Amino acid sequence: MLSILVWAPILGAILIGCLPQTLVAQRGRQISLIIASLLLAYSLYLASQFDLMNPGLQFSESLPWIDSLGLTYQLGVDGLSLPLVVINSLLTWLAILSSDPRINRPRLYYVLLLVLGSAVAGAFLSQNLLLFFLFYEVELIPLYLIIAIWGGARRGYAATKFLIYTAVSGVLILSAFFGLSLLSGFSSFDYGVLQSHTLPLTTQLILLSTLLVGFGIKIPIVPLHTWLPDAHVEAPTPASVLLAGVLLKLGTYGLLRFGLGLFPEAWKACSSVLAAIAVLSVLYGSFAAIAQTDMKKIVAYSSVGHMGYILLAAAAGTSLSLLGAIAQMISHGLISALLFLGVGVVYAKTGTRDINVLRGLLSPERGLPVIGSLMIVGAMASAGIPGMMGFIAEFIVYRSSFEVFPIQTLLCMIGTGLTAVYFLIMINRVFFGRLPDHLANLPPVRWMDRIPAVIVTMLIIFFGIQPSWMMRWSEKTAVMIATERLGRELTPLVAVEPDRVAMDLPLSQPPVALKAPFVPAASLPASLPVLRLNDLKNDVQSD
Amino acid sequence: MLTATPPTHPLAPIIDRLEQGGALLPESAENVVEVVGILKSYGTVLDAYQINLTYIAEHQFLVLFPFFKYFNGEVTLSKLLKHWWHDRINYEFSEYCMKAMFWHGAHALDAYLDSEEYRQRATAAIQAKLKSNPFMGGLNRLFPEFLLEQVRVLCYYSALGQFWNVMSRMFLILSDRYDRGEIKTIADVVDHIRNGLVEAAADPITYKVVIQGQAYEIIPQSAGLTFLMDTAVPYVEAVFFRSFPFFGTVSYNAQAHQISEEQADFNYGALFADPLPIGGAGIPPTLLMQDMLHFIPPYLDEIYLKGLRGRDDMRVKICLSFQKSMFCVTTAAIQGLAPFPLTTTDPEQRQQNRAYLENWMDRFVTSRLLSVQ
Repeated sequence: MLSILVWAPILGAILIGCLPQTLVAQRGRQISLIIASLLLAYSLYLASQFDLMNPGLQFSESLPWIDSLGLTYQLGVDGLSLPLVVINSLLTWLAILSSDPRINRPRLYYVLLLVLGSAVAGAFLSQNLLLFFLFYEVELIPLYLIIAIWGGARRGYAATKFLIYTAVSGVLILSAFFGLSLLSGFSSFDYGVLQSHTLPLTTQLILLSTLLVGFGIKIPIVPLHTWLPDAHVEAPTPASVLLAGVLLKLGTYGLLRFGLGLFPEAWKACSSVLAAIAVLSVLYGSFAAIAQTDMKKIVAYSSVGHMGYILLAAAAGTSLSLLGAIAQMISHGLISALLFLGVGVVYAKTGTRDINVLRGLLSPERGLPVIGSLMIVGAMASAGIPGMMGFIAEFIVYRSSFEVFPIQTLLCMIGTGLTAVYFLIMINRVFFGRLPDHLANLPPVRWMDRIPAVIVTMLIIFFGIQPSWMMRWSEKTAVMIATERLGRELTPLVAVEPDRVAMDLPLSQPPVALKAPFVPAASLPASLPVLRLNDLKNDVQSD
Repeated sequence: MLTATPPTHPLAPIIDRLEQGGALLPESAENVVEVVGILKSYGTVLDAYQINLTYIAEHQFLVLFPFFKYFNGEVTLSKLLKHWWHDRINYEFSEYCMKAMFWHGAHALDAYLDSEEYRQRATAAIQAKLKSNPFMGGLNRLFPEFLLEQVRVLCYYSALGQFWNVMSRMFLILSDRYDRGEIKTIADVVDHIRNGLVEAAADPITYKVVIQGQAYEIIPQSAGLTFLMDTAVPYVEAVFFRSFPFFGTVSYNAQAHQISEEQADFNYGALFADPLPIGGAGIPPTLLMQDMLHFIPPYLDEIYLKGLRGRDDMRVKICLSFQKSMFCVTTAAIQGLAPFPLTTTDPEQRQQNRAYLENWMDRFVTSRLLSVQ
């Protein structure tokens, strides 16, 4: 029942909306926390029931809605969307947990957070293009309101900019969906149906470019990124956590699901362009982060850079690189959440995020030593230090992308080095040195301020040590997308067994794999993947 | 006619206060509670320190690998586990203080330790100790100065132990008097400490060890070393004023000569210490504040908990109170060592006192004195 993930938060929002005013102030937070906790538990339950060997959609639901529009209520989850759904539930829970218990207008605030969580979950689960678009647009409203009402001094400007950019993004995505539906001759917006279109490459390229700009705004890729730093700087901490943690992933998820999934030939044709855009995003984001003095802007530009790695891996389009892209989505979701949570506490306690004003916050008793330590862990994870999940994700991305785009990958690796540079600048300025007298009387840090960051830190380290628990959900899906949609050969990591067999054979007898004629990826029959995917879907639905 | 304090001296108001019978620390009810409360805790900790210093001096004599020197002779598994768990008095701090005194030196004590009499007495004890250890005896003949220097260090252990023995009792009596309502002002605190110092001023500082049933006097009473001039004054100089530039408490680049090569120019002592790094691992002030944390009287604990950070920054708050109390001890020392009573009305005596006080104040310019005003 994937609908629970979409509708339970809406019901919770209605419940909070109907509570008497006095009760909302006292119980609004608890009720939303309970709902978010239950949703997180349910997401984990779904993950536990997920068939790791099945690369296709699972737990599918389908209800007719407006047939004349081709709009059906179709939900499903596969290895691409499952981790994102779980991360969404986790970060929604953490966002509520890290919200100020004395926040103004709690009823509206918690209602909006729950609606946001619902819309994002709906977008990740939608298997109908129009339904995805609806959820994608619905998500816009609560986030706009959260920034506009509970944001910083320039919240109006930032919220409006966010609204305009994301609305344009939505329009472009919708026009691409309409274009695909009209030009392909299908009257449906069913994802599975539309995959079987036979549009010429030029048309595919136009539609993919439209999607690329649409989702590119959301990711964001350079030069469509300018709304993000403003939105982050003005957004309250829980909104920043959600924005960086899951909302940006809607962009990369959309590109993978709809860009790559619907236009694989065009994707292959323009993959080098995508890789070049990824390099631009990584380097621009990293260099821009070095120049910032606001801690939130540093983390925001770091997001621009790190989202570039996902684009690079997606452009490479091998099974391993797609796995790396998904891993980087999870990794960046958690690491950026940790960093924003840390920055949020620093701002709440000191009243500033300016790295030229802050200093010595690691001071053991009068500073913020625990938060400082957690932020150092976050910076290390972001910079790809082994032992943390940032390393796992970035290593897979580089390892796999290097085979396809060696120069672009090497350039992106510079971004990892630059990550260490800008985060060390930030850590050094903000946390090291002597605590200045004007910061020597900070308010106490409660454990409630630390717990969200501690939880995320534990996950980052756990998945760094035990990455297979993060990767296993997506392995089959990544392989399926790469082999069936893009027609890629299996990467050496997956094809390790035949290699081992080959090494054991005497030279006089060439291994079986070498005897087989080489089949270029482009010459694979175009209908094969579609047929196989549909077969899988039918299997699931018949179950 | 009285000489006016030079208006340019940054601490002129404090000189005025001292001349009117006041202390370096301003008079206030909060200061009295803080100082007495922290000295009660400090007295308890000092007592533990002095017992251990004396134990090391007398019972760990030339034990070159003193694994159990902090156990005061009671080596049990439970005490060992407690030691490793660090739920204990950090005796390391008392050794830091001893080493500060040893390094910066005590004038008369150093003179005695360089004398021929010391050499003979120490050599006799060394010979007795090494009688059944031919290996060490051989090494001693190869490096005859090594063990003599070790015994000099042990003399400092003993001297500091004797000094703290007096001081710990003095602080605990102060706390008892406060509880009885006899101490109401900072001036009362200073009077109590000054009287205690004066009372013990001429107490002899001696050191003897017993080896195989025979006593060896290493510092005999005839050496003429006394409590005030040979332990109290060098201690204040070494620990309150000079000390060491501990990494973590100050930022410096020794290669760039940011640390003076002259020990006499050091000013890293307790009166200069920055309280904010307290709590950091590996720095001596943290050890002392951690020790005092265990013995804070309830009335002071209550005051600390009312602070902005509550229990989070207890050790910083303890350090701030401790510095206040050490300014009281320093006031007592200044009063006790002044050429004339500071409240004298004799113009000529006031003139000499003024020069004496300005000399002290010059040293306080960069201290934490202004921050406790």
